[in-house]
Amino acid sequence: MTLQLILLIGFGGAVLTYFAGKISSKLREIFAVMISLILVGMIISIYGKYSQEILTLGFLDFRIIFTLNRLSWLFAIIVSSLTFVTIVFSLSYMKGKENLNFYYMMMIFISVSMLGIVFSGTLLLFYIFWEIMSWSTFLLISYNKGKALSAGLKYVIMSIIGSTAMLIAIVSIYIKFGTLDISAISQNINIVSFNYITYILALFFIGFGVKAAVVPLHTWLPDAHSEAPSPFSAILSGILIKMGIYGFILIMYIIIGIKISLVLGTEWIKFHYVLAWLGAISILIPSFIAILQNDAKRLLAWSSIGQIGYIIVGISIGTGLGFIGGTFHLFNHAIFKALLFLCIASVEYQTRTRNLNQLGGLIKKMPITFTGVLIGGFGLIGIPLTNGFVSKWLIYKSLFDSNQYFLLFFSLIGTWAAIFYGYKIIHNIFLGQLPEKYKDIKKEPLSMKIPIIILSFTVLLFGIFPGLILKYINNLGVSIGFQKFNVSIMGISTETGMLNMLNIAFALFIAIILVYLIFKIGKKKVKINQYDNYGAGSYIPVDKYHYTTKYYDPLYRVIRPFLTDYFDKFYSWIANCVKSISDTIRKIYCGDLNYYVIYILGFLATIIVLKIGSKLW
Amino acid sequence: MVRIILLDVIVPVLSAFIIGLLFLGIFRKVVARIHWRYGPPVLQPFIDLIKFFGQKGFSHGFIFDTGIFLSIAGSIVTILFIPFAGLCALKGSGGLLVLLYLLIIAPLGMALSAGESANPNASIGISRKLILSIGYEVPFVLIILSLMFYYKTISFVEIIDAQKNFHWALFSPLFLSGISYFLILPAMLGLRPFDVASAPQEISSGGIVEYGGQYLALFHIEHALHLYIYLSLFVNLFLGGGNIFVFLIKMFVVFIIGIFIHSVFPRLRIDQAIKYLWRYPTLLALLGIILILIFK
Amino acid sequence: MDRNKISKWLKEPGKMSQKYSLSVVYFCTGCGIIEIPPVITARWDAERFGVIPVASARHANLFMVTGYVSLKTLKAIIRTYEQMPEPKYVVGFGSCPINGGMYWDSYNTIKHLDKYIPVDGWIAGCMPRPEAIIIGVTHLWTLIDKGMAKGYVKYRKKYKYFRQNQEKLLGKLPWQPAFSTGDNNE
Repeated sequence: MTLQLILLIGFGGAVLTYFAGKISSKLREIFAVMISLILVGMIISIYGKYSQEILTLGFLDFRIIFTLNRLSWLFAIIVSSLTFVTIVFSLSYMKGKENLNFYYMMMIFISVSMLGIVFSGTLLLFYIFWEIMSWSTFLLISYNKGKALSAGLKYVIMSIIGSTAMLIAIVSIYIKFGTLDISAISQNINIVSFNYITYILALFFIGFGVKAAVVPLHTWLPDAHSEAPSPFSAILSGILIKMGIYGFILIMYIIIGIKISLVLGTEWIKFHYVLAWLGAISILIPSFIAILQNDAKRLLAWSSIGQIGYIIVGISIGTGLGFIGGTFHLFNHAIFKALLFLCIASVEYQTRTRNLNQLGGLIKKMPITFTGVLIGGFGLIGIPLTNGFVSKWLIYKSLFDSNQYFLLFFSLIGTWAAIFYGYKIIHNIFLGQLPEKYKDIKKEPLSMKIPIIILSFTVLLFGIFPGLILKYINNLGVSIGFQKFNVSIMGISTETGMLNMLNIAFALFIAIILVYLIFKIGKKKVKINQYDNYGAGSYIPVDKYHYTTKYYDPLYRVIRPFLTDYFDKFYSWIANCVKSISDTIRKIYCGDLNYYVIYILGFLATIIVLKIGSKLW
Repeated sequence: MVRIILLDVIVPVLSAFIIGLLFLGIFRKVVARIHWRYGPPVLQPFIDLIKFFGQKGFSHGFIFDTGIFLSIAGSIVTILFIPFAGLCALKGSGGLLVLLYLLIIAPLGMALSAGESANPNASIGISRKLILSIGYEVPFVLIILSLMFYYKTISFVEIIDAQKNFHWALFSPLFLSGISYFLILPAMLGLRPFDVASAPQEISSGGIVEYGGQYLALFHIEHALHLYIYLSLFVNLFLGGGNIFVFLIKMFVVFIIGIFIHSVFPRLRIDQAIKYLWRYPTLLALLGIILILIFK
Repeated sequence: MDRNKISKWLKEPGKMSQKYSLSVVYFCTGCGIIEIPPVITARWDAERFGVIPVASARHANLFMVTGYVSLKTLKAIIRTYEQMPEPKYVVGFGSCPINGGMYWDSYNTIKHLDKYIPVDGWIAGCMPRPEAIIIGVTHLWTLIDKGMAKGYVKYRKKYKYFRQNQEKLLGKLPWQPAFSTGDNNE
């Protein structure tokens, strides 16, 4: 009963918010915050009560099943908490824009449809909620009109192609198995042949790959994430992409089961290795493309594709440690990517620009945003003491244990690319000289500070005490069928070496204190203002001295020929071909009645000739 | 417990500091002798350090101070992971994989701190330093991978134990990786032909252009620790570091060869440096990994 | 050189380290700069005394004003001097900073460097030979030992005097005063 109650409150609340907005804007904001908070509370309250709820619609002979298992609860808590944090943020970000009722309604609507996806127990319900989620995100991506409309169109067309592939797979499953219940299918999976399973998996891969932005199917992501309204970009990058990963885990490990998934494919090329290699290409190339970008949100969008590559590598390697690492990275990436997008949104709110070449020196004006970007950036790179480090270490360890040399190499190089673009964002926006036109910007409003502080605190908390979440994910892995690991509150131990965050945290802490004491040996320092720099004796004029454009220019020159987005060009070329073919066909409909008469007479003549001619032979 | 703290923690860090500064002094002396002059006394870096602490530095802001703290703290924690003549503090906490991560903290801390100095020379210097870092990281990762897969472990102590009695990694099938590591060692230490990151004549010393009194002292300490870390890494991984005398002699020999290369070569431009580092050492390291694959 | 006397190091490490590790700002003023490369290269090696050129004023200890000082260079010299960390020493080379030297009646050079930045010592000559430069450095050591090289303290205490001289010559300066002079109208 509780799961249906959650969905009902969610959908009802969304509609209620829309109508409350027509009365007054304060009422709408209160409603939005309250509904998202209620959803978070309800999901926290159903922790541990794993069950199924079955309804039957007598006249349609279908069963509607809502399930709650460990995987669903993990995703549900991420979805609801990030929605709550983003709605609090958009209270001040979206002030003054139009169509706000629609915006708040859609935010809650989208999050509830995602909850529906993770709570669904039949493939039909899954598909219905998947389609609701795709369409509602399209409506909100094109919220700003203009370039956002074409970005949203690209997204929804690719999403429809993916959903069609999924529909073919679901229909074929129904024909083979006679039912669409996930538990029933997973119990009877042995009655079909391996080729059939590979075919189903490939179709589902197209469907989920579009949503999760795996490399051949990623081209919608940079446009969509950079043109959407900024708090919504946080949800897009944080949770929408993860729905594709949820689909992967559902198909590969819950429906098909790990015994069969890990032996699919031929002797030399196993299916899950193909998936891992696609993940590795997803890590390498998009991370380097992210270095070349000039728009802050586009850079973060390309970096999202890179981090999804890590998650896919972790999940599809097939060992228990890899699965734990991949799932934990999924959880962490949602947190620090949302943090980064919200901080960029706060900068954009104050300075009205996202162009990295025109900002600079904002550290003195927006210190809390800087702390958010610093901690989020460190989490992205994977500095010890942040949660990104633990999940990446687990993925590396699992790759090492399964003797995958080159996958490990690609993952490590991906981390270095992350350092490059992480530093580029920090340097071009916050460090350096403050341009004259931004001298008087104010600090961020309170409702922007709270989400940033909460999310940064979470990043650090799960970095120092990863055991809080790792215990849960360990149980999740055991329930799927992987082995059990020895998890303590600050570390995890495997057969070939353990990770103990206590030692590293303690050592870093003592080292910083030691260095501070050494620093105090020196004399008292002199504070000078930011324009007093050594320029060989000349007085540096303001506004002319921040080295930001083409920041890594020597590297660009070496790697640029390898980094054009061929897939984007390929898809655009296909679209153009279809357009030109359609243009040619359109010429048949010329509107001239004489031509239509000729068509009719010609067609009749051809039929008569064919009929008589065949009789004569 | 007290013995652990004393021996395993204080001795490596203190000796890293002293060895690093001594090696900087030896560096200046040997370069001067190659130039047919006398050169400063070997203890000159210590004198410099005391002088820097006596000067009043200039501060540009909060991150300007704390960036260096992060950098030195990262270096100190890295030293605790690398065995010094058999003493290793954090033996079982992750080994080589964590080391690859901790080596990132030091340049990142310096980059944050130098970025706040709001000087375009500093920004250019940091961009060049980061680009050089990725230049040598690509072959470095391949080399560490070949080591990890040959010895099937990520723990330092086991790798050193497997190299007893002159079974150095340099003489085993890993010799290609060893040669490749030696080729990128000048890039890691900041010696010519790869010292483009701190080019005094071009960009006024790059990232450290705004560092005054005590900040420059901290940078000096960081430079010394950096030198020690990369030298001891090479000696431990490929030359099988033994007890303290053998360890010091090996580090000294490797460093002297590095100084000889430094005094003879001019400076490569940054894109020439990247093209070189991504071609020849990477090729050798790749061949090294393929050799390991064939052997096992 | 008493560089090897350990007792002196233990008693006053500050003074000894300021003496034996002078970093010179590599600032090329006027015609004296042609005498600096011979001092730091192999023939008259200055590095054995601890003297080494550095590339940025923030790292430096000693400022050598080598030769005549034109008005444009004076702005750069004042700026560089104020950017050096204390304690700092200035040494004037040649006769031009002392009293105008060869260009005593030029419209574009200054006659007394002492009016604009505090100078700790002079080295006479037009240009002094490298041996004279090295002897000058050792004299600077003696001054530092006796505590008489306090130019930077004088700059801080009498900043109003120096700033007035600078502004009388160069007009309104675009940079803020380095120390507060107590005046209301800066």
